[in-house]
Formats: sequence, C-alpha cells, structure tokens
Amino acid sequence: MEFGFTIAAYAVAAVLFILSLGGLSGQESAKRAVWYGIAGMAIAVLATMIGPGQGLWWLSIVLIAIGAGVGYQLATRVQMTQMPELVAIMHSLVGLAAVFVGFNADIELGRVAAAFTEAGLTFPRPEEVTAAGAAFARDFTGFAAIVAKKTGVEVNILRVELMLGIWIGAVTFTGSVIAYGKLAGKVDTAAKQLPGGHLLNAGAALASLVLAALYLGGAGSWTLILLTLLALFIGYHLIMGIGGADMPVVVSMLNSYSGWAAAAIGFSLSNDLLIVVGALVGSSGAILSYIMCKAMNRSFISVILGGFGNASGPATAIEGEQIAIDVDGVAAALNDAESVVIVPGYGMAVAQAQGAVSELTKKLRAKGKEVRFAIHPVAGRLPGHMNVLLAEAKVPYDIVLEMDEINEDFPETDVVIVIGSNDIVNPAAQDDPTSPIAGMPVLEVWKAKQVFVSKRGQGTGYSGIENPLFFKENTRMFYGDAKASLDSLLPKIE
Amino acid sequence: MKIGTPKEISEGEARVAMTPESAGQLQKLGHDCVIEAGAGEAAGFSDAAYTDAGVAVVKTAAALWKAADIVAKVRPPTETEAKRLRKGQALISFFWPGQNEALLELAKGKGATVIAMDMVPRISRAQKMDALSSMANIAGYRAVIEAGNNFGRFFTGQVTAAGKVPPAKVLVVGAGVAGLAAIGTATSLGAIVYAFDVRPEVSEQIESMGANFVFLEFEEAQDGAATGGYAAPSSPEFREKQLEKFREMAPEMDIVITTALIPGRPAPKLWTEEMVGMMKRGSVIVDLAAERGGNCDLTVPDEKIVTEGGVTIVGYTDFPSRMATQSSTLYSTNVRHMMTDLTPEKDGIVNHNMEDDVIRGATVAHDGEITWPPPPPKVQAIAAQKPKEKPKELTPEQKRAQEVAAFKEQTRQQVTLLAAGAAAVLAVGLVAPASFMQHFIVFVLSVFIGFQVIWNVAHSLHTPLMAVTNAISSIIILGALIQIGSSSVLITILAAAGVLMASVNIFGGFLVTRRMLAMFQKS
Repeated sequence: MEFGFTIAAYAVAAVLFILSLGGLSGQESAKRAVWYGIAGMAIAVLATMIGPGQGLWWLSIVLIAIGAGVGYQLATRVQMTQMPELVAIMHSLVGLAAVFVGFNADIELGRVAAAFTEAGLTFPRPEEVTAAGAAFARDFTGFAAIVAKKTGVEVNILRVELMLGIWIGAVTFTGSVIAYGKLAGKVDTAAKQLPGGHLLNAGAALASLVLAALYLGGAGSWTLILLTLLALFIGYHLIMGIGGADMPVVVSMLNSYSGWAAAAIGFSLSNDLLIVVGALVGSSGAILSYIMCKAMNRSFISVILGGFGNASGPATAIEGEQIAIDVDGVAAALNDAESVVIVPGYGMAVAQAQGAVSELTKKLRAKGKEVRFAIHPVAGRLPGHMNVLLAEAKVPYDIVLEMDEINEDFPETDVVIVIGSNDIVNPAAQDDPTSPIAGMPVLEVWKAKQVFVSKRGQGTGYSGIENPLFFKENTRMFYGDAKASLDSLLPKIE
Repeated sequence: MKIGTPKEISEGEARVAMTPESAGQLQKLGHDCVIEAGAGEAAGFSDAAYTDAGVAVVKTAAALWKAADIVAKVRPPTETEAKRLRKGQALISFFWPGQNEALLELAKGKGATVIAMDMVPRISRAQKMDALSSMANIAGYRAVIEAGNNFGRFFTGQVTAAGKVPPAKVLVVGAGVAGLAAIGTATSLGAIVYAFDVRPEVSEQIESMGANFVFLEFEEAQDGAATGGYAAPSSPEFREKQLEKFREMAPEMDIVITTALIPGRPAPKLWTEEMVGMMKRGSVIVDLAAERGGNCDLTVPDEKIVTEGGVTIVGYTDFPSRMATQSSTLYSTNVRHMMTDLTPEKDGIVNHNMEDDVIRGATVAHDGEITWPPPPPKVQAIAAQKPKEKPKELTPEQKRAQEVAAFKEQTRQQVTLLAAGAAAVLAVGLVAPASFMQHFIVFVLSVFIGFQVIWNVAHSLHTPLMAVTNAISSIIILGALIQIGSSSVLITILAAAGVLMASVNIFGGFLVTRRMLAMFQKS
C-alpha cells in the first residue's frame, strides 16, 4: 500500500522534472519551469521519507536543513562571472554522493549474504524458492529486502550497476574538482599531463576492467576500493590534460556524467525515479557537449584527448600592423554609427565589464541607435555564460542574438565592438586551412564597416593563435582593461 | 625639430599643411611648430587659433623658411621657394618628381631632403599618410556637388503633388578613391548610379557602395594587383568594347563623372565628342582628370564650358582647394602621420630610416642625392586576385533531386540508428532477467525523452539548464535516504554524507537557477 503510494509520487515527480527541462525553451516559460523542478524534488524527497525502508528521518531532516543553509549561502553569494566554477563544484558533489551510495549498496549486499550464510541458507536465492529462504528474506527491511530477493544473475547485474555508478561518480568527482580549480584559476589552465599521457588513462581504464572482473568473481570489496581509486585518478588526469578554452565542453560533459552516475545507482537500487532523472540529465549534458563541439568544429574525442595547437601546421604569416585607437576615436565612431553590434567574450567576464557594457548599450539605444549583441556558442567558459552575464547587467534578452541569427547582418553594421573575445572572431578559421581552428564557425565581424577590439594587450588568446582580424584595415585596437576602457568611453557618448 | 608651414603661393590655393589640431599632435611628438602669418586664413584657421595651439607665428615667408628645420606645405615648391632650401633641411609636400625633374635637381643641389607626399607607396600601413587618397576622396565628393550645382533637376526621384520627378542617372567612370567617393555621394543623394572600371575586382566595392557595376563581356580581365592597385593601359580591343558600351549609355545618363587615370600617362580619352553630342540638353559632365588632359575630348582644364547641345562640362582642377577647411584637416593629418613615422621615439628627433618601405618610397632626395624612383616595395599593395569559382546555379530539377537525396539520406540515418538501438535493447533483453528489463525500458524511454526535450532549449538558457540539471541530478539523495536507516553504522554515516551533499546541491542549484532566470528581461 505504502509502496504503491511512493511509486505514484515518483511518477508525478518525473513528469514535473520533464516539464521543468522542457520549459527552458523560452525565457518566460523558464521562470515557471524552475518551480516545476522544485515541486518535483519536494514530492520525491517527501515520498521517499514517508515510504518504506526509511528510518532515522529526524537525522535526514537535520542534514537536509544544514545542506539547505550551505546551498543558500552558495547560491546567493556567487558572482555571475563565477557561475562556471559553481556548476563544476556542484557536479563534484553529485559524483561523490553517487560513490557513497554505491559503496553502501555493496556493504548491504555483503551483510545480507553474511546473514543468509549464518542462517544456513543459500544466497543468492536459488531458482527454486525454498520456504525457509522466503521467510528469512521477509525479515529484512528497506534496501536489504530488495537485495535478499535477488537471484544469482540479478545479484551480478546489481554488482555491475553499482560498479558503474561508483566508477562514473568517482571520475565525475575528481574531474569536477579539477575543472573547478581551472575555472577559478587555482589550477594552471594549460593542458598538462603526466609523462605517459593518454596511455596512463588507457592503462587505468584497463586495470579498472580487470578489477571489475575480479569483483564479479567474488574477490571482495578491496577490488571495489581499488577501482574507485583508479577512477579518481582518471578523472583527475583526464581533465588536467584539457586546456582552458575547452572548458565549456568539459563542464557539460561532467554534467552528463553526473546524470549517468545517478542512473546507474538508480538501477542498483531498483529506483525508477533515479533512472529517469539520471537519464534526463545525462542526455542533456551529452547534447550540450555535442553543441559545444560543433561550435568549435572539433570532434568530442579530440577535445577529450588534448588541447589546442597540438597538430597544427605553421601559421600563415600576417602582414600589416595593429593600429591602436584612443577613447575619443571610438566615441566619435559610436556617435556617428547607426547600428552597433557588441561581441562579448570571456575577457568581459574577467574584467567584470558587463555593467559598463549595459550602460553603454542604454546610452546608445537612448540615442535611437540599433544596438545588438552577438553571442558565439562557446563564448565564455560555460554554455550560455555570456547570456547570463548580460542578463545580470540588465541587457534585454531580445537584443542578444545567436551567431546564426546575426552573422548575415555584419555587412550592414557600422560599428562592431569586440570585448574580450578572440578565437570566436578569428577570420583564419575561414581563410587559412592550416590554422588549428580552420573550419570552426566564427562571427564574421570583419565584414562590418568598422571594428573596435577592446583587449588588454597585443598577446594572443587562450588558444595561442594569431588573429588576422587585428591586422585588418577596418580594425582598430582599443587597448586597456575592458571595464576601464568602457568607463572612460561612457562620458564621451553624447 | 621645428616644423614650419608657409602660406601657399600658388594662385587660388586655399589649403594649408598645418592646422591648429595637427600642430597639437606634432607637439606631442616633441616637435615645435611655426607658421607664416595668414597661412591658414583661406582655409578658415585664424592666426589666433594657431597661437592658442602653441604655434609660433612669424611675419614673412623668408623668416619661416629660415626658422624651420622641416617645411611642410601642400603644393610643390616654386623655384623661389626651392632656392630657400638649405643643407639638412627637409621639405614635405606634393612634389610630382616625374614631372618636376629640374626642381628635384635644385633640391638635390641644396642638399635638402625632400619627402613627396604623392610618392607614399600604396600599402596598408601607409594608408594613414596617403594624401593622394584623402584628396581624391574630397575631389570625388566635390565633383558630385559641382555636378548638382550645374544640373537643373533633383537627384532623387520624387512623387509630389506637382507631378512626378524621375531620379537622376549618374555614370562614374573609374572606381578609384575619387570614383568611390563620388558613387557614395551620388547614391546618398538618391541618384541611380552606374560605375565602370577596367579592374573587375573592384566590382564588389562598387556594389557595396550601392551602385551598379557596368559589366563588360571581355576575355582578358586585368589583374589590378600587378600594378600596385592602379589601372594599367588597356588593349585597343578592350577600349573599343568599352567605348561601344559608353555610346550605348550616353543618351540615358544625366551626369557623367570621369576619374580615369593611369599613373605616369596622360588621361585616357573615354568620353568622346560624339558621346557628348548624344547626351540630353542640361546634362553635366565633371572631368576629374582635367589636370592630365581630361577623359572627355571637350574638357577645358580649369574651366566650365557649355556645349552647343546644352551639356555642361566642368574641368576644374582644384576640387580639394574648393573645400579648403576639410582638405587642410585631412592633409595636415597625413603629414602628421608621416612625422609620427619619422619620429618613432616621440622625442622630437627625426630618424630618417631609409630601410622603411614607406619612408624610402616617399623620399625623393636625401643627403645630396636623388633617390627617385624608389626600389619596388617589399610588401605587395593588395593581394593577388583569387580565381573565383561561382557556385553553379541549380536548375529546379537538380534542386528537387538534391532535396530528395537529402531526405533519403536522413531517413536512412534515422532508420539505421533506430535499428541499431532496437537491436541493442533486444540483445540486452535476451540475457538480462525480466526484473532488470523493467527498469531498462524506463531508462531507454527517459533517454529518448531527454533528447527530444533538450534540443528545444534556447541557446541563451544553457547556463540555467546546467544549473537546473545539476539540481535535479541530486535526486541521488533518494538513494541515500533509503539507506540511511540501515542498521550498519558505516552505511548510515556514508548515507548521511550523501544526503548532506545532495541537499546542498538541490538548494544551491534551484536557487541559483531562479536568480539567473529572474535576471532575463525583455526590453
């Protein structure tokens, strides 16, 4: 009776979660969609707590309350520019929780087996159910009750599932911690690997397989612990070997992993809601990774296997010079312009210049100029990062456009301001087949009448590729910190 | 160094080579500025304005030439002026060394350095000091204004209460800097503009300015890149074809602006007497090539004439000087940029670097030697024209066939994917027990739903999507909640840690998503 109620609640929760993801198709419906997600989560947790097998509910409530307090602090204190770090560190929590739950399942399995042996009964349950065995199994509660009813094949499947859950969870955990470190600048963002490179990863994966076989053969829990350690190493080493520019892919990939880990744990616990949600999150992350890879014209494998610039030919030499311009020149051009497009990148986030950008937009729009934003799919360090920053600075979302929506409008644009982005506006991707980013779709800003590039200095971008845009005749370099430059520009727009 | 600008002596020359603004910039380079009294008067710059900008004003030309280490002026020096040059002094002006060899000898004899603004090579880096282009730009603009002045109708077509006015038709011959400026001015006034050039690669520029490129069917197209961006003489056959086209167009055109010049040669005759005769009464021809003999047979340099057929032909050669304020501003900026390159350290000391392509090219006399003509520059003016492959126009049948093929390809892909997926699920079903399959079906369907739903998520909401998926992936808390009541202490501890971490994630994830979404606002 009680059990049936829990399942029904799970069905409702699953529907709410699907609606919550589907609602993200538009800015307005998204605001409602979050509430669906919250309601779904509340129903699921409540139903589990009053459902079968639950004890110590007071402890659960205390823990949830503590978690809520920490979560609230995190969510309200975080700067919008730190969003990638936050998302990464939260993935690590899911990964670690999956590892713990997986281990618990293994321990419970061992306890049940021990109890059966002590009672002189066979475990796993033989095909022909004995009356004594069935009676003994009835005495268990909660998860142990489910385990006690399993046959030999089912127990092996359970082991595979919990192994998968632990392995993926562990990779997600260390991977996310490293990704967090890289995004927060606490770990060197360059692609770095131990000697041996991917051979080490492959070796660790192979060793994991061997350990998995041993574990299935009944070698005991030490194999599982060793397997976890190997997975932790793989997560660490894999993400260390990926450069900062590929972070959008990494974060969405880890997002996907945390989902698959939850799904695997759901299988081992025979919990359908875990499976449903895990699959939803897993496929969502997979699609995001795919979109990001497509936006960089790179295959998923090549992103995972290493950073930029590893296998590029000699870059074509660029002729000409970078011509600098001062704030008066930019102001004059903006005052004369009718249509302006702003291309923000990670540099804007670093300089915290989104407020100044918004102020500039307001001033220009008040003068009747058409101002729009062009967002490349991989701008920033997280899918959709720029949109969130601009939204925070109160830039209306209907003037913030995607690459495909705006690329054809550049020839009719008077002024393009590139703020802190580099590779996503690099014409070499189209013109120079030897370039490491050849074929990557880019914003065709150079087709505009005039381009101003706000940039800290003459250096190359994250990927270390020279950008011919900076040498074009219609390009002027507006050197300096993005925020300081824009602040000095603002009073001159009249 | 002291930079001085004398008053222009040539009759009717209103320009001046230094403005109060450019003087300010020159002083920033560490130079002192001096100017002859009244030099800027005709261009609208008073002596007082110069004094305010920190420029010393001297009374006479003689005193100025004596005081200045570098003399910057517009027109080539007259003989009197050239005789005032002394050893070590530098002169920056238009010089036309090809036509003024005696003058060049004179300057060499005096030991002075001469930098000819008309010899600045045409490379990207030197555009900021390309005075020919900046003057040509003004000439192009002014040509349209002069034409309008002598043309009895509107440029733009209008439908008024008093009747309909057809738009003027303008033909621009030669799409160099002047031609393009003329095209831009004429289109912005509302005229229908046609433009012709022997270099097919400029058709893009012409069309970008809003004019129609007059296309000539001809086999051997010229590659303008070979000649440093200038036009080269064309073959007689080509010329014949070209004139034929013009003859065809002449009766239609209201205004013709010719700007065709070939470096080092008299202007080609492109608009014959016959064509002038074919034009309507009241039409106007502006010949920007008048100084080199004119593109039109009937052009009289420096004069405006009206033919018997009522066609006005403007042959002025001083268009830039007619807009002295504008042209002085641009020319003085060109000179200032030249000085910037000459004083790389910004310390007021000139470093005449003869290794530099631009400085070498513009210097025609230096250290008592004639350094003209310069060796070819190391950098090509414009990239060689790339052979263009036009995508073939597809017939409707081909398009249809392509669509069908694409559809078939898509179907095949989808069917393959489905078949592979189904086979995989069936294979699992063969070995796995029924209890597992129940969950497995749920899993497969969920993945499917996930793929369907996530593709519709707006790109701009990818960050909130990640935050919300993050929050709901903490559903793992259910697993921990089920286990927390276990009788084993170890399990309880691990499960409690799981509950704690997952609930941090739930609250943090949902709250931050809400915070983000609340920020998205419509304008």
